[in-house]
Amino acid sequence: MERENLANRAYTGDIDPDLLDFLNQYVDSFIKWDLMRFFFNNPHTIDTVDNIARYAGRNPEAVEQELAELAMRGLLEETHMGTLVVYALSADPEIRDRLSRFIQASEDRQFRIRAIYHVIKGGY
Amino acid sequence: MQPEERAVTGVPGFDAMLRGGFLTRTANLLEGAPGCGKTTLGMQFIHYGATHGEPGLILTFEQFPEQYYRDAAGFGWDFRELERRRLLQVIMSSPEVTKADLERFNGRIAGLVSNMGVKRILVDSISQFERMTDDPVELRNLLHGFLNALRREGLTALFTREAYVLLGDEQREEDETEASMSFLVDSYVLLRYVEIESAIHRAIIVLKMRGSAHDTHIRQFDIGPHGLVVQEPFKGREGILSGTPQYMAESFIKAFVRR
Ligand SMILES: Nc1ncnc2c1ncn2[C@@H]1O[C@H](COP(=O)(O)OP(=O)(O)OP(=O)(O)O)[C@@H](O)[C@H]1O
Ligand SMILES: [Mg+2]
Repeated sequence: MERENLANRAYTGDIDPDLLDFLNQYVDSFIKWDLMRFFFNNPHTIDTVDNIARYAGRNPEAVEQELAELAMRGLLEETHMGTLVVYALSADPEIRDRLSRFIQASEDRQFRIRAIYHVIKGGY
Repeated sequence: MQPEERAVTGVPGFDAMLRGGFLTRTANLLEGAPGCGKTTLGMQFIHYGATHGEPGLILTFEQFPEQYYRDAAGFGWDFRELERRRLLQVIMSSPEVTKADLERFNGRIAGLVSNMGVKRILVDSISQFERMTDDPVELRNLLHGFLNALRREGLTALFTREAYVLLGDEQREEDETEASMSFLVDSYVLLRYVEIESAIHRAIIVLKMRGSAHDTHIRQFDIGPHGLVVQEPFKGREGILSGTPQYMAESFIKAFVRR
């Protein structure tokens, strides 16, 4: 237990505190990570679970819950249009800025390894 | 009488064919075979507007926005920078969502029109609407509603549509959507490949333009480093431009003849 925590800290210790916050706040699965990268690259997407799943090459069942959670945490906006539920990236510039820093950071291999380890460990 | 307003496309040679550009607040259809330059012409129209005081939207139903940023950059158009300056937005969505959005009061698109002052929209492509229903009457109503919603927002709209003939002189199939679209839109422009002695050329013609005179000649165009450039017309069988062999003009004419 003790040892695991130490190992965990050894990996995450060097993560910039803001990015670590971001990881803890939003990224508790690889599907979420994937969806975030998708929204970062295509920042003006607005669509249903089914279509977003198709764009992201995932199945809708896997994506539905993750999108709903990201919306609950404020990263995405959920809108009801008649019978349709649609998702878009939050327009909040601060959130967009943090997302951008996270995606840019994850282009660095060292950071990616630490972050992946963090996600696998379930954070903290 | 007010001088009619035109949305200049910025495509060299094409504006002259349209006698100055598309009429503003109209729905315009651009049809052509895969890869013949529909998206490029559309991006050029949006880029020209965004850099000349008419912000634009690109609504994509099939191609990822990242691809537009990349393809546009290949022509020297910096779409990401235009987005930062709020002169452009490349939106990925689906026909169902777009329809629902436009039917809402104060939807997203309406919001962008009032906040960014959007004047132009490229819908790439309208073909995706066809998978919403198998019923031609319902499809026609859907398209009609969509076109009217964009007019209501005051937008000059350009719709691309894939034509299923590759070369102009192939046999054409009965095409319900084409029939209703060509009736619903204000202008109808066709792009075609023309094969001459095993070389492929590209050609363009304005088939219809409501409320305006337009060029009725078939013209050849090229896609160069800055987008489409439309050439001088072939003048028909008699007045062929010097240097243009007769069979070449005939191939172009044949490419657009409906069967
Ligand atoms: N930077 C460039 N310079 C010159 N030509 C280019 C450049 N980029 C693309 N092209 C040409 O433009 C053509 C593609 O045009 P475009 O994507 O506009 O066609 P499209 O009609 O929209 O096709 P689709 O039906 O696949 O959507 C390509 O075939 C290529 O020859
Ligand atoms: Mg295209």
